[in-house]
Amino acid sequence: MSNLMQKLSSRGMRTPLDRSPWLIRSFLFVWLFVVIAPLLVLVAYSFFDSRNFMMVYEPTLKTWEGIFTSGRFEVTVRTLRIAMTVTLIELLLAFPSALWLAKGNCTKTTRAVVLALLTIPFFLDQSSRIIVWRGILDENGLINHVLMMLHIVQAPIKSLLYTEAAVHFGMVISYFPMMVLPIYMAMSVIDDTLISAAADLGATPARIVVDIILPLSLPGVLAGVVFTLGPALASWVEPNLLGGGFVNMLSNSVDSAYGALRYPVVAALSSFVVLMIGVIFAVLMFVTRRFADLSMSFRSLQS
Amino acid sequence: MTRQPQGRAWSYWSGWPRVAKWIAFGALAFIYFPLLWLAMMSVSAQPLSGLPFPISGANYVALFQSGDWLAPFGISVLIALGVGAVTAVTATLVGRVLPHSKRAGTLVLLAVLPLFIPGMSMGAAQFIFLRPMMGLTLGYWSIFLGHVVWAFPFSLLIVLVLTTRFDSRLVEAAADLGASGWRTFWDIEMPILRPGIVGAGTFGFLISFNEVQRSIFLRGTAETMPIWNWMMASSQQSQVPVIFCLETIVLAVVLPSLAALFWVLFVRMDKN
Repeated sequence: MSNLMQKLSSRGMRTPLDRSPWLIRSFLFVWLFVVIAPLLVLVAYSFFDSRNFMMVYEPTLKTWEGIFTSGRFEVTVRTLRIAMTVTLIELLLAFPSALWLAKGNCTKTTRAVVLALLTIPFFLDQSSRIIVWRGILDENGLINHVLMMLHIVQAPIKSLLYTEAAVHFGMVISYFPMMVLPIYMAMSVIDDTLISAAADLGATPARIVVDIILPLSLPGVLAGVVFTLGPALASWVEPNLLGGGFVNMLSNSVDSAYGALRYPVVAALSSFVVLMIGVIFAVLMFVTRRFADLSMSFRSLQS
Repeated sequence: MTRQPQGRAWSYWSGWPRVAKWIAFGALAFIYFPLLWLAMMSVSAQPLSGLPFPISGANYVALFQSGDWLAPFGISVLIALGVGAVTAVTATLVGRVLPHSKRAGTLVLLAVLPLFIPGMSMGAAQFIFLRPMMGLTLGYWSIFLGHVVWAFPFSLLIVLVLTTRFDSRLVEAAADLGASGWRTFWDIEMPILRPGIVGAGTFGFLISFNEVQRSIFLRGTAETMPIWNWMMASSQQSQVPVIFCLETIVLAVVLPSLAALFWVLFVRMDKN
């Protein structure tokens, strides 16, 4: 029987599920070309230098040194600080929200509506969403108008906008859905019987959250942190529109380097962002190894 | 009910779920309030002041008279339609094969890689690859390429939801009954995979329509609507009211297509 099958396949007759291997091969080839190659080139370019608007193709560490010694380092540290603060705030806000959404006895409609509402902002234009806040937090904006009308303040508060606080605020609002959705998805597969078993054994709700829900939802929390930290480090719209030039983050640096045609600097800063994301992710995975075995959770997610 | 230790009673407070609920709703309110405000300010006579009164349609008149925005808007729509079509087709082709291939896990991880890389880095990477290194002149095609690469992982994941659950015995049964490959695909696989394909295409369209961070790097001198919005927003204040009106119109178009997408995703695909 197998002899017959061999003869058939050697004659080129394929069973219907025998997909051609060329599809995956050509996909990999194209993908290599449009995704992997640019990333490798990005890292490679950061080791070059540019002088007088011309590229100098000699490997050198000058660009990387420049990032850490010049004023750019302060920008990098500031970006890291702001991004991590925003991620932490998001985690504090999103964890209870996801917990309520997954385990809080919501009706199916509420859950569907809230999930839809959380996903929609992803598709809307960033510039328009943020520019409205400029009109609200401005000197003549809504908040100042209301405060003055209620006579809480005599003169408009000038420091609502163009400060780091405004940038934080804008970023927290923008990245909230990105943090909630992965945590929600991880929590929604937690078995309810585990929770009721723990309650039967006398665990307080706080203990249930810390000992049962947190370890089981850890893959979602990590995913949420990575999906928030990455875009936060590279955030573009909020520092420019809400910071007004007073809050310089990495994206401004990249912008100015790009405008000055200093491509190695652009490459170095961009790959530095990717590197930071990778390092933070690795650190988080290492630290949380004590609490939960991530590979086991992934396997349970697959089933 | 057993007696709880005194110090732990706070954890049993029945108000905790309510607090969590209000955090979620509060965050949603902060997310959606600007959109409402955008619509209200677009019909205001003094859009740069804090309040929407008095009401006037002057901004809309100015919008339709100016017409600067027509070209970027049209380009964005065209590119988005193309991206949606291309990602739907490629995601279907790859998504059909992936569950049967040997190294499925690695392939999915590889395909999903762009999701983890911020827009700025990916845009810079592709820009450096195309312009300084290969010397190509950038334009609409490079924006198109960047958008397809960005939207592909999402489309693939959507199609994979259906193809991993696809009963391959149907395909074998069709072959047993003598159907050709194309017939099998069109009559058996298409109806089952259609929600996923439509979802993938719509997703690709919406993602490409509002993409700004990669487009800025890959544009050369081309202009799409998000780029135009960005330039208007970060430039002088006087141009800002035009964006308000434009965005309100765009919202009115995008929200129904989003509603249709969610209907497809949550209702049609959940039927299995």
